[in-house]
Amino acid sequence: MNNTKFEVIICIVNTGFSEEVMNAARKCGARGGTVLRGRGTANPEAESLFGIAIQPEKEIVMILVKKSLKNDILHALYKAVGLDTPGQGIAFTMPVESVVGLTVTDGIPTEDGKPKEDAKSTKK
Amino acid sequence: MAKIAKKTAPVSKNKGVMTAPDGMVILFTIVNRKKGDLFADLLQGFEVNFQTILSAQGTADREALSLLGLHDSEKAVIVSVLRRDRVNEALAMLEIKFRTVKDGKGIAYTVPLSSTIGVLLYQFLSNKKGGSLG
Repeated sequence: MNNTKFEVIICIVNTGFSEEVMNAARKCGARGGTVLRGRGTANPEAESLFGIAIQPEKEIVMILVKKSLKNDILHALYKAVGLDTPGQGIAFTMPVESVVGLTVTDGIPTEDGKPKEDAKSTKK
Repeated sequence: MAKIAKKTAPVSKNKGVMTAPDGMVILFTIVNRKKGDLFADLLQGFEVNFQTILSAQGTADREALSLLGLHDSEKAVIVSVLRRDRVNEALAMLEIKFRTVKDGKGIAYTVPLSSTIGVLLYQFLSNKKGGSLG
């Protein structure tokens, strides 16, 4: 079922930190992402319990990456915009089954940093 | 900012004993904002009864955008619930449209939908009405 080589990383950060998300992700090989705006809703009790104030305005960054880059990018995001940073970010990944629309120029680089010819489409 | 497309896809006419679709996926289609409605309309032809168009921003820098022949970073993210048996057709159509529609370049990917609740909602999402769903 999940035999494609891509995953989508969703990173939710405070407004204004999407640039930091992309900077951290790019260093690990990601090429581009898409930013959506949203509003966070946190449990007020949990906020006081953990001593963190939740800023309601959020940015949701979606980054399509090769599976092999996923762990490195998640670690980089944790360091750059994790919950204990001003970005107060959380990140998670979802499996991607099929992809269309990637080209060699905007393709996700392989481990050696070079775009692969077959990155054009991984449709099953 | 976000809008929900109304149900327009034809309801399945098969009234005999029906089997449940193999499964459903969430299809994310990211295109230039101006083309959001066009791609949403195209996807409705694949028995998509529910889709939402979200406004978004691309993160590619200007140099990378010009390399790709793109000029603006205003994007539309179309979130569609699609039956798994229609995925290949829908993606094939999108691949062609990404190449042939002017300023229609984009990407699309599917993520498995693992569960939902409610028969009516399931029938609505899978575009199956009546009969007995197994």
